Amino acid sequence: MRIVLYGEDFKLGVLKNEMVIDASEISDGIPHNTPQQMISSVIENFDSHRAALENLASKNQGSPVSDIRLRAPLPRPGRLVCMAVNYMENGTRSEPAPIGAFNKSTSSIIGNGDTIVLPDSGASIYEHEAELAFVIGKKAERIKAEDAYDYIFGYTNIVDVSHRGNREDTSQRSNFFNGKSPHTFGPLGPSIVTADEVAEPLNLPVKLWVQGDLRQDYNTSDMAHKIPEALEWITWIMTLEPGDVVATGTNHQGLGALQDGDTMEIEISNFGKLTNHVSDPLKRTWSRETRAQKAQNNS
Amino acid sequence: MKLVLFDEDFKLGVLKNGNIVDVSASTSNLAYYSPQEMMNQVIENFDSMRGEIETIVSGSEGVPRDDIRLRAPLPKPTRLVCMAGNYMESGTRSEPGPIAAFNKSNNSVIGNGDTIMLPNAPATVFEHEAEFAIVIGKTSTNVQPNEAFNHIFGYTNFIDVSCRGIGPAGADNFFIGKSWHTFGPMGPALVTSDEIANAQELPIKLWVQGVLRQDYNTNDMAHKIPELIAWVTSITTLEAGDVIACGTNHRGLGPLQNGDTVEIEIGDFGKLTNQVIDTVTPAREWVRETRAQKEARESS
Repeated sequence: MRIVLYGEDFKLGVLKNEMVIDASEISDGIPHNTPQQMISSVIENFDSHRAALENLASKNQGSPVSDIRLRAPLPRPGRLVCMAVNYMENGTRSEPAPIGAFNKSTSSIIGNGDTIVLPDSGASIYEHEAELAFVIGKKAERIKAEDAYDYIFGYTNIVDVSHRGNREDTSQRSNFFNGKSPHTFGPLGPSIVTADEVAEPLNLPVKLWVQGDLRQDYNTSDMAHKIPEALEWITWIMTLEPGDVVATGTNHQGLGALQDGDTMEIEISNFGKLTNHVSDPLKRTWSRETRAQKAQNNS
Repeated sequence: MKLVLFDEDFKLGVLKNGNIVDVSASTSNLAYYSPQEMMNQVIENFDSMRGEIETIVSGSEGVPRDDIRLRAPLPKPTRLVCMAGNYMESGTRSEPGPIAAFNKSNNSVIGNGDTIMLPNAPATVFEHEAEFAIVIGKTSTNVQPNEAFNHIFGYTNFIDVSCRGIGPAGADNFFIGKSWHTFGPMGPALVTSDEIANAQELPIKLWVQGVLRQDYNTNDMAHKIPELIAWVTSITTLEAGDVIACGTNHRGLGPLQNGDTVEIEIGDFGKLTNQVIDTVTPAREWVRETRAQKEARESS
């Protein structure tokens, strides 16, 4: 099932055959103050909602998704943990980097059609990091790798937009806070794909385009610390709860610059495309090449 | 006013002359789904709630603080931003380091009387970082420095418990070094900003086993409160009930180990007391000294 939030008031919906079926009658029965509380509750209690959601989706035609404003399906998760340097990078790494992560601000999340705004932060470049994200289905504290998939509710596309430091100017040094957490730096969606639809989460093509040009094109099979190991490690350190999000890292070979006027699209497998625009009030420009292309051109 | 949460169900209370007055009647009209969300609403609506709370407090003696389980006043803030390396370190730094921060897991927060559990991780040491924490009063985006204090609701004691040498290649790391379960003791009270005449002139003290380890003043802060609020909110939006920990003076840092009692108090905020248990047996041991003491010992 594809679960979406949509409209100005973040209604609950099911996405089926490019149609959005309204599921407000289910969310209306869930006590909540915020859209995130509502979707987290749907996730936590999905066993009791699933049949009703399927029933709605089978009897109602819905409205064309092209007519609807989709929102991030997890607009403000309690926690957004991103794995750092977690790919083997097409054979350019001989062994996995030590396992690492960071907490990205949940205020960074935006949805389909929203605009990434590049800040006046003195960065040397702003890059897209296309990533497979998984969504936690139940409270996960010190879990074992072999049980990890029991805790995963579903998957979605995320772009971990990143600002790189300016090595010449130490006052503009980047870290995992100012480098990752700026407003609008977390495009996510368009839907949550429930885990039953993803037979092999470690064999999914991840693609990202800028202005229609394919930049990132890798497979989750290249992941260094695989999903079970990553979840065991994170929950050894901190507790995750229903509706929390873990982004599994990126293959850096295809990273490149984002700049004013760009349209960026990401799609993992058949998850549906997430499309975002880029605005830079300072109108800075960078060369339109990936890191791999740049390395080749320099050699 | 010193606001607290107490008991198993996180009731709202006020600390008055060492006693806790139950003011939960004032929250009966709020609609919330967690203690944190209740506190966020108390903060957002404090102007209209204050009169009723003060009336209850003036008419009650309360119950001795020691008879009650106090909880963290912000049990799970939506955002817990910690400043990194933000003190001049008693004159040992010639200029401020670059302004920097990290997001600490909000699931690390514990309250007064709770236990810091040292994990079975191969850290070189686990240290206490006594920190002055700011509690945000309203939605804050791109706040200008001269407006910063208008966005502050109050202050509290915070310890950013940290483990060292556990990141890639033995380096420190802001995720595995900081976000552990129980690594965020906070409280006991949320002190409203009207009680603090000068937030940039407050003594911070931390004791381990009754021995004073950290003893510094917020006047030594490198990037001061207005500047750091402007910087953090230029990057990420903060909301009522979010917390910024302002960093620590590292000179007085020292190890935490099995059986320790750690206490922190800033100004007259009230003491926050926590115990330490090492989950590894036999328990690990470190020399009981501060970084400054170690430096002096090794150079002599």
